[in-house]
Amino acid sequence: MSDKTNRRQFLRSAATATLGTVILPNIIPSSALGMNGAIPPGDRIVMGAIGTGSQANWNMQEFMELNEVQYVALCDVDANHLKSTQQTVNKFYKNNDCRIYEDYRELLEKEKLDAVCIAVPDHWHSLTYIAAAEKKVNIYGEKPLARSIREGQAIVKAVQKNGITWQTGSWQRSVEKFHHAAELVYNGRIGKVKYTEVGLPDAHAGIGTPPVKEVPSGLNWDFWLGSAPKVPYRGVCHWDWRWILDYSGGQLTDWAGHHIDIAHWGLGLDRTGPVEVEGTGVYPREGIYDVPVEYDFLCKYAGGIEIRVANAARLKYGMGVTWHGETGWIHVDRNHLFASDPKILDEKMGTGDTLLYKSDNHWKNFIDCIRSGEETITPVDVAHRSISVGLLGEIAMTTNRKIQWDPEKEEIIGDEKASRLLMRPMREPWTLPVI
Amino acid sequence: MNSCKKEAKYKALIITGQNTSHDWTVSTPVLKKILESTCLFSIETATTPAKGADMSSFAPDFSKFDLVVLDYDGDAWPEPTKSAFVEFVKNGGGVVVYHAANNPFPDWKEYNEITGLGGWGNRDEKSGPYIYYKNDSLIRDDSPGPGGSHGPQHEYLIKTRDAEHPVMKGLPASWMHTKDELYQQLRGPAKNMDILATAYADTAYKGTGRDEPVLFTVTYGKGRIFQTVLGHVGKNTNEYPAIECAGFIVTLQRGAEWAASGQVTQEVPAGFPNSVSTVEWPEFRPLSLSELMDKIDGYKIGRSRKYISDLKARIRKDSGSDEKLPEYEKAMLKLLKSRSCENDAKKVLIAELSWMGSDASIPVLEALKSDNDLKDAANAALERLKK
Repeated sequence: MSDKTNRRQFLRSAATATLGTVILPNIIPSSALGMNGAIPPGDRIVMGAIGTGSQANWNMQEFMELNEVQYVALCDVDANHLKSTQQTVNKFYKNNDCRIYEDYRELLEKEKLDAVCIAVPDHWHSLTYIAAAEKKVNIYGEKPLARSIREGQAIVKAVQKNGITWQTGSWQRSVEKFHHAAELVYNGRIGKVKYTEVGLPDAHAGIGTPPVKEVPSGLNWDFWLGSAPKVPYRGVCHWDWRWILDYSGGQLTDWAGHHIDIAHWGLGLDRTGPVEVEGTGVYPREGIYDVPVEYDFLCKYAGGIEIRVANAARLKYGMGVTWHGETGWIHVDRNHLFASDPKILDEKMGTGDTLLYKSDNHWKNFIDCIRSGEETITPVDVAHRSISVGLLGEIAMTTNRKIQWDPEKEEIIGDEKASRLLMRPMREPWTLPVI
Repeated sequence: MNSCKKEAKYKALIITGQNTSHDWTVSTPVLKKILESTCLFSIETATTPAKGADMSSFAPDFSKFDLVVLDYDGDAWPEPTKSAFVEFVKNGGGVVVYHAANNPFPDWKEYNEITGLGGWGNRDEKSGPYIYYKNDSLIRDDSPGPGGSHGPQHEYLIKTRDAEHPVMKGLPASWMHTKDELYQQLRGPAKNMDILATAYADTAYKGTGRDEPVLFTVTYGKGRIFQTVLGHVGKNTNEYPAIECAGFIVTLQRGAEWAASGQVTQEVPAGFPNSVSTVEWPEFRPLSLSELMDKIDGYKIGRSRKYISDLKARIRKDSGSDEKLPEYEKAMLKLLKSRSCENDAKKVLIAELSWMGSDASIPVLEALKSDNDLKDAANAALERLKK
């Protein structure tokens, strides 16, 4: 018990020391006492949120229901989302204590947080993750880790340098079905796996080019755009930013942190990457949604392992991961787990097997690791490797070239033009910090 | 074609002159243009007498030709002409059956063996089976029923069924076809047939709910036959979206070369449609690079961005070429310096140059930093190019 308290106190005093000014302590008012079960407020993890959209609220529900977390502050550039989420928090704790901010830098400056859940569009990931890490706030960060490989590298550096606990929103690893499948594959129950197929969702329908609209009151559009190019508002913002390349790589990058992550897990490729990536994308000819509506690329790893990533309609088993081993195959997705021989799925682990990290609740795993100092089930460098596959695929499709990748140095070999796409220039005044 | 570098390899004859429901005076010259632009064909046209007139003078010398293109749905040919045609095909002559050319002559046995499948003209189960795909299986269906129907014209997705066939090699697994009739319930002898591509006939458009053949081949004796059901050209209209479809044009060109020679040497152009967007070629050919850049010159966001997308597709297709990329860059830099080109277009060009540009782009981009609206885009590109 005392270790956990000491770690939190350490984090708080470290933060105070760097700032050099008096920061008001986080007071958990007595109205919170006894409302959230057995864990007294002094041992509760004090949390904030950057981003208060649909994914943020889902995560928040999971955290609050753990009864060992206290949400105290929220931040969003959309005042409407912010206020409605504030109401949700206050209703849960039956008080009016939740503080709100528009600017994440102000939130991080003024609040003494143990942890923050960050659920913002992909183009905002790097700056918010790095800012929170530099304030030594533990982070539950949504996938994909970053919009470009260089941003991902900076996030990993910032998180590791500051020694914080990091959990990625790749919650499938905490689901029994995926854990079981990956463990069987990892421990050779289908023999050596040379070829894996990863199916990610098919296209989202296009909407043409809507007319320019008035920015809704409460939305700070320029702040929402952030480092992305300045464009007039056309009503596409929450959720549907996914289909616009300035903010996201589409279904491919949205789901890389799920099924590519699981594929890597079973194959033991968590901390490396491919050596060659090649493939094609199908792009819409019209409309503001410009992400590839179909994608199909092959990644070759050292040792001859291949992973094909494609939209589900192109693959025999659709969405999910299908590992093809010498002695059988296993397919897993959110609704199915099957194998060439069902008996494979009944196999138990024994001596000589490696048990994969087990977590029964992705959000609790984060909280537990904050207390224990242990690594979570989806650490930041693993998240970086998962999305790197998607981002390299994106580069291969954008340039229509065979990309040779050095996974140790994280450089594209012999292709200056393709290498330019490893970084994403940021609009003034935003810049990617050098860690 | 004055831009062809060498003499045409194959001689083709278009048979035309009567058509029940289509305007052959529009379609025939277009077919001629489409085939001539491959630089593989020199074209002659044999126009029959008008409907009801004396057909006895209609007697082309098929032996002069490598390929016969059928754009005819009308009165019967004289018997000697019919025999000569059949002999031509048996002895290795190629045939292209275009759209309604599968409608006439329900009782001429050899014609139907050559075309493989046909419609209308009171065709029924005596004409042969229905051929279609259902749940990805090829079905030969002898059920009784009429041969040939279609619902209202619409855009539809075409699906490749034989990706290894020379005609289909290099084409995408599926692509969008422009607004056209979708022939369904075709029936015929269907012997020695290879279905190249199908389209799902949606019940929303009075369709059969089956994947109907749209491109297929037949062999007859030594002859090779390519049929395309696509390309409706109506009477009483001046809009011809179906024959302007890049997919229709390219598959017709490839099918014709295959029918004439047994192989396809043509490359698949960058403008071939994909599974989400139709592509129309009002000139029945792709735009030249300078024509494309002129179109981009007129782009403003909110209008169609298709020409910008087409440029990006060409760059992707040629991305491995050290000669072609500087050509694109040169054309793009010219537009960046042009006063008539809108900033919306310039921003997209700048973003593209940020990865595929060279040192040549740097001074142009530096100059654009003084434009308040373009400076962010220019700075972003320079950040990438100067690394």
